[in-house]
Amino acid sequence: MTVADLNFGQTAVIKNIDLKHPSSCRVIEYGFTPGQELQVVNKSIFNDPLSVSLRGALIAIRKHDARCIEVIIPDEL
Amino acid sequence: MNSDTVTERKKLITLVGPPNSGKTTLFNLLSGKKHKTVNYPGATIEYSVSGFLEQYGISAYLMDSPGIVSLIPVSPDEKVTIDSLYTHPDYGKPDLVIVTVDTSQFSRHLLLAKQIIDSGFNTVVVLTMNDLLEEKNFTIDETELSRSLGCNVIKFDPRKPDGVDTLINMLKHDLNAGQLKTQNRKNHTEEDVLCIYREIEELEKKVLRDLNNSSENNPHIAKANRELVIAGHGAGIKIPDSLTLKIDSVLLHKFWGIFIFILIMALMFASIFWIASPAMDLIDTGIHNFENFVNEGLGDNWFSDLLSQGIIGGLGVVLVFLPQIVILFFVLGMLEDSGYLARGAMIIDKPLSLLGLNGRSFVPMLSGFACAIPAIMAARTIQNKRERILTIFIIPLMSCSARLPVYGLLLAFLFPGKYFLSGLILALIYVVGVIISLIVAGIINRYKRTFLNFEDNSSFIMELPVYRVPKVSNVLKNTYSNAVQYLQKAGPTIVIFSLMLWLLTNFPADVKTNPDDVSNGDSVAVQLSESERISNSYAADIGKVMEPVMRPLGLDWRVGVSLIATFAAREVFVSSLALMFKVTESDENMSRSLINEMKNAKINGTGQNLFTTATAAGLIVFFMLALQCISTIAITKKETGVWRIPVLQIIIYTGSAYLLTFLTVNGLRFFGIN
Repeated sequence: MTVADLNFGQTAVIKNIDLKHPSSCRVIEYGFTPGQELQVVNKSIFNDPLSVSLRGALIAIRKHDARCIEVIIPDEL
Repeated sequence: MNSDTVTERKKLITLVGPPNSGKTTLFNLLSGKKHKTVNYPGATIEYSVSGFLEQYGISAYLMDSPGIVSLIPVSPDEKVTIDSLYTHPDYGKPDLVIVTVDTSQFSRHLLLAKQIIDSGFNTVVVLTMNDLLEEKNFTIDETELSRSLGCNVIKFDPRKPDGVDTLINMLKHDLNAGQLKTQNRKNHTEEDVLCIYREIEELEKKVLRDLNNSSENNPHIAKANRELVIAGHGAGIKIPDSLTLKIDSVLLHKFWGIFIFILIMALMFASIFWIASPAMDLIDTGIHNFENFVNEGLGDNWFSDLLSQGIIGGLGVVLVFLPQIVILFFVLGMLEDSGYLARGAMIIDKPLSLLGLNGRSFVPMLSGFACAIPAIMAARTIQNKRERILTIFIIPLMSCSARLPVYGLLLAFLFPGKYFLSGLILALIYVVGVIISLIVAGIINRYKRTFLNFEDNSSFIMELPVYRVPKVSNVLKNTYSNAVQYLQKAGPTIVIFSLMLWLLTNFPADVKTNPDDVSNGDSVAVQLSESERISNSYAADIGKVMEPVMRPLGLDWRVGVSLIATFAAREVFVSSLALMFKVTESDENMSRSLINEMKNAKINGTGQNLFTTATAAGLIVFFMLALQCISTIAITKKETGVWRIPVLQIIIYTGSAYLLTFLTVNGLRFFGIN
């Protein structure tokens, strides 16, 4: 599952970044690295882009870009 | 005192930092009054270069660079930014690099600092926004950080400039002590970034201090925080600013978010028009009085005519827009400084992406309502080339402030005295302009392979900064420099064209006017000969060539000449009509007497009224669509690097403007509205 599949308010931990995705480099630069915890805190009017809380920052990210961030939900660990 | 000798090269300090890290605020604080914008050869990046404020006693250039997230370029423009950081073509290698790091974003912002240090630059790290981190009950141990990074680190908030002396002393020391090292340019990959982040995470554990553990002021929070830290993730530092989260829950709310967004935009435009109008009237009256003053002082001769109509009139056209431009940049600056602009971009991203645009197109499009030139330059923040070109392509359709006096004149002609109705129609003109631009974007995006012939990855990732009370002095400083830029860019062109137009309408001056006529009070004779002079002038010769083009629109050569003049700047239309119809100097304001002249104007030899409801409406349609601004064409060529884009724009916009004007004029006439 990826960040794009998370529901509003859901918290998850980054498992892997899909390096084949064209946005992967930018995503990593913004601090989406494996092991980091993130939460979807807001969704824009059409459910896209998402506002994600990561490393104490809020980052707006399109679902398309968020698809390269593979996550696991801690409860499922 | 500085130890530089004359023969030595002046040193260069470059400011680098991620967006929203306080980099530009720091630049504004340290830099002297004289800013210079520097273009890179063959590229579109602009840096501000300045000296230091004299009181600091540092003799070096200070260069501000565009905000970057890392040293890995993702767009051609970013590549130039980063290449030039290593060696600037004009200023050389930086002797010292100041990297700003927002401590509330410590791990994310330290990435760039680490990359800079690893590349071998002589670096000073400035930790900003320390108050935000302290609100979360954390602080950074700068001594420890300095030791780990191997460079000087200082806590300094450029928004509250206490302790600037310590920073200055550090800069002086490092500037003189630091030797130019050979920078090793690393070819960073995703793996490298991941590796740096791992290092940063280790570093963070060493330098991050929990304020509660040391002071024990609030044992409950301290205990809670300790538990959080024990829990591993979700420690206090990793929770975003709580006030920002609260505000976002309203401003980014699914339903209220878009509602507030529309409201803020509406308020912004309302302020541009309503707050600006008294100031604009004041400037208009002032210019007019000045013209009269010159006329009275010099008497009625060609020189006073040249001075009052050619130069002062031209200058007035430039100055009249200043209030609107100042308000637009001020409001934009306040929105940006408060942190809302990034949210606006996020809210509008999805609808714009359906049309092939990007949330980042939002600010350039918004600036397009003031003037297309800064707007087209602002499109540089769009990383994706296709989206950037598409944004630039539609910006001329945003009704810029230069069109406002034209609409103002035509609406006053159409609906004399009906201010509310005029205002409503004006709002409609703006909305229709936006709708047309979106349709154009949609069509071009659909056939992008024909028009733009490339396809690439579109993405939108953007930091949403913490909401802060905007710092008015900073916003004012930026507004001021934008206003000066406007005057410098628009001023000379408009005055030159105004002069040329004056010459074209006044020469050849075969028909002599006797200056004594005025003193005799025989003004009718003067007016008659002046209108004769115009119809014999060079302007008339040019205009008569275009008569066949203007006729289908129900207009004549005089409007044609005025339309040609608008290529200098659209607002010239009003002053050129005034010149063409020889509006007499009177105590009334210019537009009112011009409207009277327009009502009486006849198409040569037909006795038919030139300005009717149909033709005035047609002209409004023409101004809405036509690309008739040389500066816009030039800047589009410069920013896109090809002539194809501006040429396409001229064909599509001016062609459809002509066609739609023809349809409007003849359609209205068909329905009996003349």
